[in-house]
Amino acid sequence: MRVLEPWVTDPLVEFVRESSARVALVMTSSGQVIAQHGFTRSLDVMAAAALGAGILATTSELARLMEHGGDFGAVVHQGDREGVWLGGFDTPRGRWIALAVFGRESSIGLVRLFFDRFAAQVSAAAPPPVAVREVLAEGFERELDQSLRALFGGT
Amino acid sequence: MSLERWQQILREITGVPGVRGALIVSAEDGLVVAESAMEHVATSDVAALAAALVVRARQTAHVAHGAPPRSVHLAASGGVLLAMAGPDPLWLVALADSRAELGRLRVLLGDFAVSLA
Repeated sequence: MRVLEPWVTDPLVEFVRESSARVALVMTSSGQVIAQHGFTRSLDVMAAAALGAGILATTSELARLMEHGGDFGAVVHQGDREGVWLGGFDTPRGRWIALAVFGRESSIGLVRLFFDRFAAQVSAAAPPPVAVREVLAEGFERELDQSLRALFGGT
Repeated sequence: MSLERWQQILREITGVPGVRGALIVSAEDGLVVAESAMEHVATSDVAALAAALVVRARQTAHVAHGAPPRSVHLAASGGVLLAMAGPDPLWLVALADSRAELGRLRVLLGDFAVSLA
């Protein structure tokens, strides 16, 4: 497990343990990775974060078009052997997204149950928002490299 | 079977003294299929946990080379959770307090579970 925000660690550890999720990813609504569990390659994480954020953005827009009055909250893709849970939740740091891949040892209901608890724990543990640092063009590559090192331990 | 018939079954179960509520759960995905009279109970949470219990019981039976369980009875200090297997993947689940007539409830659940198809 790798995290950029240390206060996310405990809720994420509990979520993974209780829901039996095989893979978990926490990201901002724009696809910036906050924490990950189960991924082995940075490329997979970046792609999953971008695709997950895109899927939730799409469903939110669909909800708006249908005058659903908000968004759908979560999207589930169920396959024969694995399912994917994608849910958005509000934190003091803005809207975040959690993606979980689960197998037959778990279920949609179980992931939903512990996702709700995870979202509440993250919101409660979040420190007050800090001023957003401007990422200058010359520092962008270094910032990105630092984030990837934090998430993958220098691999 | 129609949802209306399922609701009728659930109402009969919740009519047993001491039963706090009844629901039909899909053990495959841990979701509520139908529910009745579950005041102050998070039915979606009960469904998820009951389904997890059923799956673990199945796995235990499999490892022990036994037949798949047809019922699961979880006794707690404040009451019981009784689950009876219906047509796969449905399970009929009842939550009852310690005053409930468990024998009658088991018979009722068993009779109704097989008629869920």
